[in-house]
Amino acid sequence: MTANWFTAPAPVARRVRAYFAPVNRAAQTPVLFDPAEQGNFSLDAPPSPWISLGWIQEFKRKPASKTAAIMTGIPAATLEQVRETLEAQVTFEFLSWTKLTMALATGSQHMNLLASASSATAAADGAQAAPAVSVQGGSTATFVALASADAARFTPGSIIALDADYTGQTGFVGSPVSGAYVRQAMADVDYIRRVTFNVALVSQVNPTGLTLAEPLAGGAPAAGTKLQSVTGFVDREGGSFYQEWSALFVMQGSQGERIFFHYPRLQTITGSEEVSASLDKKQKSGLERVLLKGQFMALPVTDPLDGERVLCYRSFLPASNALV
Amino acid sequence: MQNAKDSFYMALRTRLATLDPERTILLRGAVRPGILVEEAEAPFNQLPNDVFVLRWLGLGADLDLGSTMAAEECEIVYQTCGTQSFGGLDRGRSLSAMDEELVAILQPFHTPKMNYTATPPAAMLTQLFWDEPGFGPILVERDMLSRSAKVMVYSYQEQGE
Repeated sequence: MTANWFTAPAPVARRVRAYFAPVNRAAQTPVLFDPAEQGNFSLDAPPSPWISLGWIQEFKRKPASKTAAIMTGIPAATLEQVRETLEAQVTFEFLSWTKLTMALATGSQHMNLLASASSATAAADGAQAAPAVSVQGGSTATFVALASADAARFTPGSIIALDADYTGQTGFVGSPVSGAYVRQAMADVDYIRRVTFNVALVSQVNPTGLTLAEPLAGGAPAAGTKLQSVTGFVDREGGSFYQEWSALFVMQGSQGERIFFHYPRLQTITGSEEVSASLDKKQKSGLERVLLKGQFMALPVTDPLDGERVLCYRSFLPASNALV
Repeated sequence: MQNAKDSFYMALRTRLATLDPERTILLRGAVRPGILVEEAEAPFNQLPNDVFVLRWLGLGADLDLGSTMAAEECEIVYQTCGTQSFGGLDRGRSLSAMDEELVAILQPFHTPKMNYTATPPAAMLTQLFWDEPGFGPILVERDMLSRSAKVMVYSYQEQGE
């Protein structure tokens, strides 16, 4: 058998696609992407546990590691180089507003606005919430089993948050994504559901439970999980918590080639920020699209291959039959 | 470059036949999907209604790459008078339907390059690709509405082309 070949010029890409995976904050364990094994995935169906964040724009990578020269001789000349600091930053704009994109683009906790109890006292990040309902056995990532009386409290089109009750623990809370770090015990039993990433839209309600329009980030709900209605989301400028995630960015070239940028650990470095883009470039004062701007710092991981500390992996899968 | 033009037309034609099998044209005694290349047919006194007509315009080439890249501008023209059953009052809806079909058949924005002079057609090594279409305004001529969209189609020249 023989193969023909061609000389592939530099990749031509339309946009950049972003994917999220949770970091186990307590164990400091990121999710690693293997381009050899997983590189040919459908961009619309990433391998588990990666979740699509949709298209992004203005994707810019900024390596900021510093090197220093070891000088020798008279006059001095560089004998060796050493890496003094490891640093890299990434900036981009999300083209959608979702729980995930909002949370990742903010510099602190990102909270779900739980539907409030009747006559509750107003609060900036959501009043006292209506009581949660218990999830029954037999639930999956896209179906939440409930008692029929509980199911009747929800309607198609509702947004829900699922997670455990807060019981006074400290440390990272939220599953599978740590939504906050609790430094001292609180009294709010709903706190974990306020910060959980386990949210979804209800597409159908029947007496046995709720069918979801999208799978839960945490998969099938664990025993003891409870459910509350969500009216929206809120984040704050300030606070001491940093969101952290494993990131994967994909550029798909015109010839089928792919460039991957995999940051095992990314943390937000600024507060929440929006940028506006005119829908009609000829009419600057007209309608504007409001985009979430994200600025992130890469944190290092130790590559088990050779023990080197690294911030990012850049991979390239060439087009079929392209000279390499 | 002809292979790229042929491949672009055939990709759109195949996609249209799947998307809207009812959109057809009787041409040279054969019923075909409702899309044609103007330069590959006998000259028209007037363009046919309710079909997409591909017209090749500009050409550019970037020779400073490992493989020469050609950029060929394609204008896609279409017009309609609506349907007789509605007395032409649905001509706006008919044009909107063609707008939507054109957007749909242009996606995905790439297709494999084929050599259609071979029998059977031979797959080549590269893909051609194009950008979002630029739609022109609706033109009104009595009871006929027409529009054109321009697409820049890019391809790499392969060995033997």
